[in-house]
Amino acid sequence: MELRGNRRQVLRWGVSFAFAAMLPADFSRPVLRPPGARQDFLARCIRCGKCMEACPFDSIRFFDLSAGGLAHTPYIDPLRTPCYLCQKRGSDGRDRPVAPFLRCGNACPTGALVTIANEKKVLARVGWEYKIGVSVLDRRLCLAWQYDSCGECYYNCPLRDQALRDRPPDMPAVQGSGIRPYVDREACIGCGMCNFVCPVRKHIARAKIRRDVKLTLFEERYAGMVRNVIGRAGPGVRLPAIRVTREW
Amino acid sequence: MPETHAHGVGRQRAVWSLRRLCQLAVLAVLVFVPWLSRNPHAWAPSRIALGQMPQPTLVPVSGDTWAFELFDFRLVHPLAFVENWLAAKTLYLPMLSAALLPLAMTMLLGRVFCSWLCPVGLFLEWNERLGQWLARRTGWQGRRLASTLPDMRYAFLALCLALAFFFAMPVVSLFDPPHALGRELMYGFTHGEVSRLGVGLLIGIVLLDLVLVRRAWCRLFCPSGGALGLLGRWRVWRIAMTAERCTHCQACDAACPYALMPMSLLDDGRRFDWTTCDNCGRCRDVCPTGALGYRFGGQR
Repeated sequence: MELRGNRRQVLRWGVSFAFAAMLPADFSRPVLRPPGARQDFLARCIRCGKCMEACPFDSIRFFDLSAGGLAHTPYIDPLRTPCYLCQKRGSDGRDRPVAPFLRCGNACPTGALVTIANEKKVLARVGWEYKIGVSVLDRRLCLAWQYDSCGECYYNCPLRDQALRDRPPDMPAVQGSGIRPYVDREACIGCGMCNFVCPVRKHIARAKIRRDVKLTLFEERYAGMVRNVIGRAGPGVRLPAIRVTREW
Repeated sequence: MPETHAHGVGRQRAVWSLRRLCQLAVLAVLVFVPWLSRNPHAWAPSRIALGQMPQPTLVPVSGDTWAFELFDFRLVHPLAFVENWLAAKTLYLPMLSAALLPLAMTMLLGRVFCSWLCPVGLFLEWNERLGQWLARRTGWQGRRLASTLPDMRYAFLALCLALAFFFAMPVVSLFDPPHALGRELMYGFTHGEVSRLGVGLLIGIVLLDLVLVRRAWCRLFCPSGGALGLLGRWRVWRIAMTAERCTHCQACDAACPYALMPMSLLDDGRRFDWTTCDNCGRCRDVCPTGALGYRFGGQR
């Protein structure tokens, strides 16, 4: 009888294991895909892992089998490693491309990721459907807006002065005034560098994010546009100043 | 090639060492490519010393058995292409061209991927030795369910392709064993962690082999192997029997990992399961008189 019970247990494990991969995932939740992901990314991607292998900064990660239908699809967690857009900052403070094309899109054999030329002008004009996401700034928490004491996102943005500007376009330039970060939603491609360097975000990350990664990965659709939507983090947790969310 | 003795007495030169070499080469690629791409110092110390960013172009090889790339020359598993086609409902021509060479290889040489290239097949062959050792040491003979289990490969394949079509998402890619191995190595070298479920899948396949039947996954479940077998059904390069040399010793029947009974080739070969045979050549290696050998074309 005991053997029988054991066997039943083994069978149960086996069956649940077999069906784990078949479980439908929540596809409606946006996940930050590598740059150049098409709309029909999930259908085209063959989960080969070459984009991760090609990434020079190890920004691309994979879900494992426990993610159900999303298993082995690539994502970017900007809090752990943002997308550097295949650019590296030189000693003179200027970004230089380390590859003529974004490596992940160039490595993809399926057309799930398209190849994007690695130039600032091209990247700033990348259409909506190829964006990783768009970053959202909460001025009420932003140290630069509230205390005139920051500007990390502006200085670290790979598309500085295009995606992130030092002031909104309707604000006159005042001599001696600090940075007032402003996200150009058309030019921002959502690499997450601002999210990565934001001190407010990092403070929250240290306290909270390791226990609830979903806060970053699966934000509610359009949560970025609705202020003070905290999602599953619960009450009492303050919103991050900058985060990256996917629009579609 | 069979030797030309007057009565064909004597073994041929064994082909298994060449086959093992191919398998080990694939395994080496799976291990060393991610290792090199994470340790560029081992590859190009001079450029690192200049303070340049380690560019992945320094390592011209990438990918695994599911999708492979060498200097922009790309190969894709035929089943990956079919799944992509069914799921995306569009034909992506660069991918088709990348799948053509493996497709041609399978149609001409048969299911040689499984026996000559697949790294999991290599582990299963070593596992077979382990099973023999266990049987010798402990007298434990597993593999009692051998004859009771149906061949589910083609049903699995059809199910996976249907799911891929209707859910618009590839399915075999999630659990194809050689790809799972390659992915765990890739992820392990890149991010320093492996997925428990992925490693569990690989260990489970090996245990299945030990408990159920020799090459249990390959002959009962593997959808990608089934697809390659169907493609290689009408292969050109195949095992053939020279009837006058056969001494009916049945050594080949015992050696075949899929229990395909190569002795049945003494008839016209109609009863031989050409879809399952993967041209591994083990029957040919054990044949004491050189009656079995590879042929191009010829009888089937």
